Amino acid sequence: MRRLLCALFALFALLAFAAVAVSARAAHADEGETPSAVFAKGAQALRDGRASDAIAAFEALADQGTVDPVASYDRGLAYAMRVRIGAEVSGDLGRAAQGFEEARDLTRDAKLADAATRALTVVRSEVARRRTRAGEPVEVDAGRSLARTVSSLLAEDSWCVLAAACSAILAIGLFVRWIARTRRLRVGGGVAAGLAAPVLLLAIVMALAARHDRLEVREAVVVTPGSRPSDQRGMVVPGSTPLPEGARVEVVDSRDTRARIRFGALDAWVPESALRAIARWP
Amino acid sequence: MSLRPRVLLVVLAALMALAWSVVARAQGTPQLQLQMDTDTVGLGDVVHVQLGAQTSDAAPSDPRLTLPAGLAVRGQSTSPTQTHININGVQSDRYGLTVDWTVQTQRVGVFTIGPASVAVGGTRFAVRGATLRVVPAGQAPPRQAPAQQAPNSPFTFSPFDPWKGLLQGFGQGFPQPDLQPPQSAPQLTTDPKLSLDAPRAAYYFLHATIDKTSAVVGEQVTFSVYEYIDLGAQTAIEVDDSDVHDATAADFVKHPLLREDQDALLAGYAAIGGRTWLVKLVRRWALFPLHAGDLSIGPMSVMLARPRSAVGQRTTEAFTVHVTEPPAAGRPPGYALGDVGHFSLSAQVNPRDVDQGGAVGVHVELSGTGNVPSSISTPAREGIEWLAPEVHEQLGGIGHETFGGKRTFDYVVRVRRSGDVSLGELSLPFWDPGAKRYDVARASLGVLHVKPSANAPTASAEAPEETLPGLPAAVDTMEGEPSRRAHLDDAPLFWLLGVVAWPVAFGVAVGATAAGRRVTRTWRTRKTSPAAELKERLAAADAAIEGSDARQVDAAVARALEAAAMAHAGVNVRGALGGEVAERLARAGVAQDAASRIADILRECELARFSPEGADVASARDRWVRARGAIRELERRA
Repeated sequence: MRRLLCALFALFALLAFAAVAVSARAAHADEGETPSAVFAKGAQALRDGRASDAIAAFEALADQGTVDPVASYDRGLAYAMRVRIGAEVSGDLGRAAQGFEEARDLTRDAKLADAATRALTVVRSEVARRRTRAGEPVEVDAGRSLARTVSSLLAEDSWCVLAAACSAILAIGLFVRWIARTRRLRVGGGVAAGLAAPVLLLAIVMALAARHDRLEVREAVVVTPGSRPSDQRGMVVPGSTPLPEGARVEVVDSRDTRARIRFGALDAWVPESALRAIARWP
Repeated sequence: MSLRPRVLLVVLAALMALAWSVVARAQGTPQLQLQMDTDTVGLGDVVHVQLGAQTSDAAPSDPRLTLPAGLAVRGQSTSPTQTHININGVQSDRYGLTVDWTVQTQRVGVFTIGPASVAVGGTRFAVRGATLRVVPAGQAPPRQAPAQQAPNSPFTFSPFDPWKGLLQGFGQGFPQPDLQPPQSAPQLTTDPKLSLDAPRAAYYFLHATIDKTSAVVGEQVTFSVYEYIDLGAQTAIEVDDSDVHDATAADFVKHPLLREDQDALLAGYAAIGGRTWLVKLVRRWALFPLHAGDLSIGPMSVMLARPRSAVGQRTTEAFTVHVTEPPAAGRPPGYALGDVGHFSLSAQVNPRDVDQGGAVGVHVELSGTGNVPSSISTPAREGIEWLAPEVHEQLGGIGHETFGGKRTFDYVVRVRRSGDVSLGELSLPFWDPGAKRYDVARASLGVLHVKPSANAPTASAEAPEETLPGLPAAVDTMEGEPSRRAHLDDAPLFWLLGVVAWPVAFGVAVGATAAGRRVTRTWRTRKTSPAAELKERLAAADAAIEGSDARQVDAAVARALEAAAMAHAGVNVRGALGGEVAERLARAGVAQDAASRIADILRECELARFSPEGADVASARDRWVRARGAIRELERRA
């Protein structure tokens, strides 16, 4: 009898241990789902036409802090798909645009950048169409400022290399002009230095601007339709029209739950909830 | 006197002194008495310990009570008395001191309270302590109601008892008229949980609590406001109903857990500061934080209108709740920030068989405790259109503690596809604050059997223009994070060596060259100065007189003189003829005789050099000696 009790107790303990181990492993597996697995789920849902599931998966990926241009691109497609199948939730177009903008910024793949640009055009066309129907201005993309546009013509490091080369040419030209005996050489040195000096100045400014852009500038996309710009006190700017959904704006400041943005010539405040930041590489 | 009688006298004197001191001490010893209002109390209750001291010598002062660990003094009131009686010219003085300590119990056990002591005329007298038994809360025997005493506070002045406060201190010799009938107090059991260290105000005050000081976004924080009413106050207490300001909680969604039309609930009785207070629950809210951060809950305030002596605002405490987001680790897909609680989903689809283009009804019930979401995400699929739902809700407090209930969503779902169409699954991920983990409420919607219909409006017919046409295809492979590389302009070395160094090198070269030229020019200038030339000529003359060539000596002497004239007088006498040398020197301010001497030596040197006979070395050396004298004279003049 005693042996039987001992055996039963041992069996019970074994079963309890196994149950605890299995549940712990399941919980661990549930908590430790890798970004690749979550992405695969989202991609599969996107292929199957399950827009909501795809959105949930790609948003979970973003919540985990995973930054990937393809994930951003597919997230934009998932939101766009929800609009296309008639299950649109307010803000889907803006979120789709944000995904495409993010993908375009992050990717180093020219094909993906091109696809994101095309998708962005499609989404912004739809926003513009809706704004036209509502009698609002159709401007959806205010574009970047001239300085940022020029600085983005070359990569930051290219500006740096150009600055270094111009600096060397300037110095060599000046040396030649100073040292050379023959008139031809002296003129050549002077011309080289005269050309290198302004280019050097421009390259330095552009390199610094690109660096500032990389480190300081925060950008976001308007993800709610009908978000009206207001002043610092929260009063709607008189005569202003709602910011276009999907517009890319520069976030200048942020206080409490409001953000100060620049959109073209407009400098105003909007609720932070109306914006979604464009992720950058950490 | 022998030694023994002397010793006896000393012993006798000492004994007399001792006896006198004992007598004197016996006369001045105060009468002390230590009493407690009960010997058995519940945990958290208060007991009153009273020390009475009477003496005829001096007023007792500085009362002290020794308490063991587990008991704490919460209040002390002291009442000194003096009685001076003169009967037939005989003065009789009596001093008294009554001290009442309010002691709160903090531990179960048997404790000895005391000893208690007072100081009389610089001497401290003590009385032995008493034993107090502390039992768990609620197990103490009911106390005997003490005879109602008029408090000493002037606020409780009663027109029916104008002298009671003044007569209270008198001793036994003056029987006190019983002006007020004793009242029988109800047998009240105080709740330690409602106790406070001290009352927040007299007669009436508010006290607020929150059940937690840190929460996640969307987690319920229960905010309660209690009113405390002094049961011992013998006056009417009235709150101005028109001056009640509820607490502000702008960063929270607020749901009352008590009905708005409900009277304040009796929460119990509390013993605070030696008084018994009636405690009522006037507000209880479920507050759900809207965002992360340190969120504040402002105070609630009311205006006490009566008694007049205590009119004023009564406010609750203000709170700050530290709010964070639920952990990102393990967060399920589709989780919306703020979905916190414990929820369950159920769904019914009716009918299951439908014609293509027809619609079915989907009834979804979302129930649970917490911040029940106001919407749920429907499984959007191609060919299935979910129309906006009709929402009903039954939400409110569950047992005055938790907010919850249920929301129902009635959808109409149009199906444009035919065949067996899966509606998918409804899911609601949420954070369970009790279990501290994420969970997902799910409800499967099953499959619809959709009959094809020729009359069914097709997608293309219903939507003449396609929404978002031309979207590119999805990508199946993640790109991955690029290898991190430093940017050139992040390195100060790049700016120093790559950009700044080149122009700086040129600048340094130009500067160095200019500086070199300047140095050379200076050096050359110094080298050709009159002083340098004079030095050179003197050395040459010194060298020449060592030789045997008289002409060379004279030539050297002449050059030395000319250089000296240039260096010290600033006059060039080279090539001057005759008396011109003396004239030039004189014009330059050289004394006439010195100028003449220099001119003479120069003439002699010229004659000796160009004389056909030639000059002898001795005379040449003599001229050099004279020339040195003239040069020194010029030097002194300069």
